[in-house]
Amino acid sequence: MNEYRYEEIETGHKESFTVTVTEEMMDSFRTMTGDINPLHNDEEYAGSKGHPGRVVYGMLTASLLSTLAGVYLPGKRSLIQEVKIKFAKPVYIGDTLTVEGVVEEKHDVYSLLMLKVTIRNQNGEKVCRAKMQVACEET
Amino acid sequence: MTHEEVMAIVTRIFRDVFDDETLVIKDSTNSSDIEDWDSLEHIALIVSMEKEFDLKFDIKEVNKLANVGEMVDLIISKL
Repeated sequence: MNEYRYEEIETGHKESFTVTVTEEMMDSFRTMTGDINPLHNDEEYAGSKGHPGRVVYGMLTASLLSTLAGVYLPGKRSLIQEVKIKFAKPVYIGDTLTVEGVVEEKHDVYSLLMLKVTIRNQNGEKVCRAKMQVACEET
Repeated sequence: MTHEEVMAIVTRIFRDVFDDETLVIKDSTNSSDIEDWDSLEHIALIVSMEKEFDLKFDIKEVNKLANVGEMVDLIISKL
Protein backbone atom coordinates (compact mmCIF):
# COMPACT_ATOMS: atom_id res chain seq x y z
CA MET A 1 0.00 0.00 0.00
CA ASN A 2 1.27 3.47 -0.87
CA GLU A 3 1.60 5.97 1.96
CA TYR A 4 2.00 9.24 0.07
CA ARG A 5 1.83 12.48 1.99
CA TYR A 6 -0.04 15.39 0.40
CA GLU A 7 3.20 17.29 -0.15
CA GLU A 8 4.76 14.38 -2.00
CA ILE A 9 2.11 14.33 -4.71
CA GLU A 10 2.29 16.70 -7.67
CA THR A 11 -0.35 17.54 -10.23
CA GLY A 12 -0.03 14.97 -13.02
CA HIS A 13 0.95 12.14 -10.66
CA LYS A 14 -0.42 8.83 -12.01
CA GLU A 15 -1.07 5.45 -10.44
CA SER A 16 -2.64 2.36 -11.98
CA PHE A 17 -3.44 -1.28 -11.28
CA THR A 18 -5.07 -4.21 -13.06
CA VAL A 19 -7.88 -6.55 -11.97
CA THR A 20 -9.60 -9.46 -13.73
CA VAL A 21 -13.32 -9.76 -12.93
CA THR A 22 -14.24 -13.28 -11.77
CA GLU A 23 -17.43 -15.26 -11.15
CA GLU A 24 -16.56 -15.19 -7.44
CA MET A 25 -16.47 -11.40 -7.41
CA MET A 26 -19.94 -11.34 -8.98
CA ASP A 27 -21.23 -13.83 -6.39
CA SER A 28 -19.76 -11.85 -3.51
CA PHE A 29 -21.20 -8.60 -4.84
CA ARG A 30 -24.68 -10.15 -5.18
CA THR A 31 -24.47 -11.48 -1.63
CA MET A 32 -23.37 -8.12 -0.24
CA THR A 33 -25.87 -5.95 -2.10
CA GLY A 34 -28.86 -8.22 -2.76
CA ASP A 35 -28.94 -7.04 -6.38
CA ILE A 36 -30.46 -10.06 -8.14
CA ASN A 37 -31.20 -8.25 -11.40
CA PRO A 38 -31.12 -10.82 -14.24
CA LEU A 39 -28.84 -8.71 -16.42
CA HIS A 40 -26.08 -9.61 -13.96
CA ASN A 41 -27.27 -13.07 -12.96
CA ASP A 42 -29.03 -14.79 -15.87
CA GLU A 43 -26.94 -15.67 -18.93
CA GLU A 44 -29.99 -16.21 -21.11
CA TYR A 45 -31.63 -12.92 -20.12
CA ALA A 46 -28.39 -10.99 -20.71
CA GLY A 47 -28.14 -12.69 -24.13
CA SER A 48 -31.68 -11.58 -24.98
CA LYS A 49 -30.53 -8.01 -24.36
CA GLY A 50 -27.68 -8.39 -26.84
CA HIS A 51 -24.84 -9.17 -24.44
CA PRO A 52 -22.37 -12.03 -24.93
CA GLY A 53 -22.70 -12.94 -21.24
CA ARG A 54 -23.80 -11.63 -17.86
CA VAL A 55 -23.00 -7.96 -17.44
CA VAL A 56 -20.74 -7.11 -14.53
CA TYR A 57 -22.39 -4.86 -11.95
CA GLY A 58 -21.48 -1.25 -12.70
CA MET A 59 -21.01 -0.64 -9.02
CA LEU A 60 -18.60 -3.56 -8.80
CA THR A 61 -16.47 -1.82 -11.41
CA ALA A 62 -16.96 1.43 -9.51
CA SER A 63 -15.78 -0.21 -6.29
CA LEU A 64 -12.29 -0.33 -7.82
CA LEU A 65 -12.16 3.42 -7.25
CA SER A 66 -12.02 2.64 -3.55
CA THR A 67 -8.89 0.56 -4.18
CA LEU A 68 -7.36 3.28 -6.34
CA ALA A 69 -7.66 5.89 -3.60
CA GLY A 70 -7.23 3.66 -0.57
CA VAL A 71 -4.25 1.64 -1.77
CA TYR A 72 -2.57 3.62 -4.55
CA LEU A 73 -3.37 7.35 -4.74
CA PRO A 74 -2.70 8.55 -2.11
CA GLY A 75 -3.03 5.19 -0.34
CA LYS A 76 -3.13 4.84 3.43
CA ARG A 77 -4.03 8.48 4.20
CA SER A 78 -6.95 8.71 1.75
CA LEU A 79 -10.46 9.82 2.60
CA ILE A 80 -12.86 9.71 -0.35
CA GLN A 81 -15.24 12.67 -0.27
CA GLU A 82 -16.96 12.67 -3.66
CA VAL A 83 -17.21 10.50 -6.76
CA LYS A 84 -18.81 11.24 -10.13
CA ILE A 85 -18.84 8.26 -12.44
CA LYS A 86 -19.96 7.37 -15.96
CA PHE A 87 -20.29 3.84 -17.27
CA ALA A 88 -19.26 4.07 -20.92
CA LYS A 89 -19.30 0.39 -21.96
CA PRO A 90 -20.42 -2.90 -20.42
CA VAL A 91 -17.93 -5.08 -18.57
CA TYR A 92 -18.14 -8.89 -18.73
CA ILE A 93 -16.89 -11.66 -16.48
CA GLY A 94 -13.27 -12.45 -17.40
CA ASP A 95 -12.50 -8.90 -18.54
CA THR A 96 -9.20 -7.53 -17.31
CA LEU A 97 -9.61 -3.94 -16.20
CA THR A 98 -6.87 -1.37 -15.85
CA VAL A 99 -7.72 1.41 -13.43
CA GLU A 100 -5.69 4.59 -13.84
CA GLY A 101 -5.93 7.73 -11.75
CA VAL A 102 -4.19 11.02 -12.41
CA VAL A 103 -4.10 14.04 -10.12
CA GLU A 104 -5.74 16.90 -12.03
CA GLU A 105 -5.82 19.46 -9.24
CA LYS A 106 -4.56 19.96 -5.70
CA HIS A 107 -6.20 22.24 -3.12
CA ASP A 108 -3.87 22.97 -0.23
CA VAL A 109 -6.48 24.50 2.08
CA TYR A 110 -8.04 21.09 2.75
CA SER A 111 -5.24 18.86 1.36
CA LEU A 112 -7.52 17.72 -1.45
CA LEU A 113 -6.65 15.74 -4.54
CA MET A 114 -8.94 15.90 -7.56
CA LEU A 115 -8.46 12.70 -9.51
CA LYS A 116 -9.45 11.91 -13.07
CA VAL A 117 -9.97 8.17 -13.33
CA THR A 118 -10.17 5.98 -16.40
CA ILE A 119 -10.97 2.26 -16.40
CA ARG A 120 -10.15 0.37 -19.61
CA ASN A 121 -10.72 -3.25 -20.57
CA GLN A 122 -8.14 -5.61 -22.11
CA ASN A 123 -8.93 -4.18 -25.56
CA GLY A 124 -8.09 -0.66 -24.42
CA GLU A 125 -11.74 0.39 -24.50
CA LYS A 126 -12.80 2.93 -21.90
CA VAL A 127 -15.52 1.26 -19.81
CA CYS A 128 -15.69 3.81 -17.06
CA ARG A 129 -14.75 7.45 -16.45
CA ALA A 130 -14.80 9.13 -13.09
CA LYS A 131 -13.80 12.19 -11.09
CA MET A 132 -12.93 11.78 -7.45
CA GLN A 133 -12.32 14.22 -4.63
CA VAL A 134 -10.00 12.63 -2.11
CA ALA A 135 -8.58 14.20 1.01
CA CYS A 136 -5.06 13.22 2.02
CA GLU A 137 -5.05 13.18 5.79
CA GLU A 138 -1.97 14.34 7.70
CA THR A 139 -1.48 11.30 9.91
CA MET B 1 -13.99 45.04 -6.46
CA THR B 2 -16.62 46.32 -4.08
CA HIS B 3 -18.29 44.27 -1.35
CA GLU B 4 -21.47 44.17 -3.47
CA GLU B 5 -19.63 43.00 -6.59
CA VAL B 6 -17.91 40.18 -4.71
CA MET B 7 -21.19 39.27 -2.99
CA ALA B 8 -22.87 38.91 -6.39
CA ILE B 9 -20.21 36.40 -7.50
CA VAL B 10 -20.32 34.61 -4.13
CA THR B 11 -24.09 34.31 -4.45
CA ARG B 12 -23.69 32.68 -7.87
CA ILE B 13 -21.18 30.21 -6.39
CA PHE B 14 -23.58 29.36 -3.56
CA ARG B 15 -26.39 28.81 -6.06
CA ASP B 16 -24.16 26.53 -8.15
CA VAL B 17 -22.88 24.50 -5.20
CA PHE B 18 -26.32 24.04 -3.64
CA ASP B 19 -28.03 23.77 -7.04
CA ASP B 20 -30.67 26.30 -5.97
CA GLU B 21 -31.25 29.37 -8.15
CA THR B 22 -33.56 30.91 -5.55
CA LEU B 23 -30.96 31.01 -2.79
CA VAL B 24 -30.65 34.48 -1.24
CA ILE B 25 -27.30 35.16 0.39
CA LYS B 26 -26.69 38.02 2.84
CA ASP B 27 -23.71 39.12 4.94
CA SER B 28 -25.28 37.43 7.96
CA THR B 29 -25.91 34.08 6.23
CA ASN B 30 -24.14 31.16 7.90
CA SER B 31 -24.27 27.38 7.84
CA SER B 32 -27.31 27.21 10.10
CA ASP B 33 -29.35 29.09 7.46
CA ILE B 34 -28.83 26.55 4.66
CA GLU B 35 -29.89 22.99 5.42
CA ASP B 36 -27.40 21.34 3.04
CA TRP B 37 -24.40 23.41 4.18
CA ASP B 38 -22.40 20.59 5.75
CA SER B 39 -18.64 20.09 5.93
CA LEU B 40 -18.39 18.64 2.40
CA GLU B 41 -20.37 21.50 0.85
CA HIS B 42 -18.22 23.91 2.83
CA ILE B 43 -15.15 22.42 1.18
CA ALA B 44 -16.87 22.74 -2.22
CA LEU B 45 -17.62 26.42 -1.51
CA ILE B 46 -14.06 27.24 -0.48
CA VAL B 47 -12.55 25.41 -3.47
CA SER B 48 -14.98 27.16 -5.83
CA MET B 49 -14.11 30.58 -4.35
CA GLU B 50 -10.39 29.86 -4.77
CA LYS B 51 -10.91 29.00 -8.42
CA GLU B 52 -13.29 31.85 -9.21
CA PHE B 53 -11.17 34.57 -7.61
CA ASP B 54 -7.81 32.90 -8.37
CA LEU B 55 -6.59 33.06 -4.78
CA LYS B 56 -5.53 30.74 -1.98
CA PHE B 57 -7.02 30.53 1.47
CA ASP B 58 -5.26 29.37 4.59
CA ILE B 59 -7.12 26.79 6.67
CA LYS B 60 -6.77 28.94 9.82
CA GLU B 61 -8.42 32.00 8.25
CA VAL B 62 -11.19 29.86 6.74
CA ASN B 63 -11.95 28.27 10.10
CA LYS B 64 -12.39 31.72 11.70
CA LEU B 65 -15.17 32.80 9.30
CA ALA B 66 -18.50 33.31 11.06
CA ASN B 67 -20.68 34.20 8.09
CA VAL B 68 -20.72 35.05 4.39
CA GLY B 69 -19.98 38.73 5.01
CA GLU B 70 -16.67 37.78 6.62
CA MET B 71 -15.96 35.45 3.71
CA VAL B 72 -16.52 38.32 1.26
CA ASP B 73 -14.22 40.59 3.30
CA LEU B 74 -11.53 37.90 3.33
CA ILE B 75 -11.78 37.54 -0.45
CA ILE B 76 -11.51 41.32 -0.95
CA SER B 77 -8.42 41.42 1.29
CA LYS B 78 -6.71 38.93 -1.04
CA LEU B 79 -7.61 40.50 -4.40
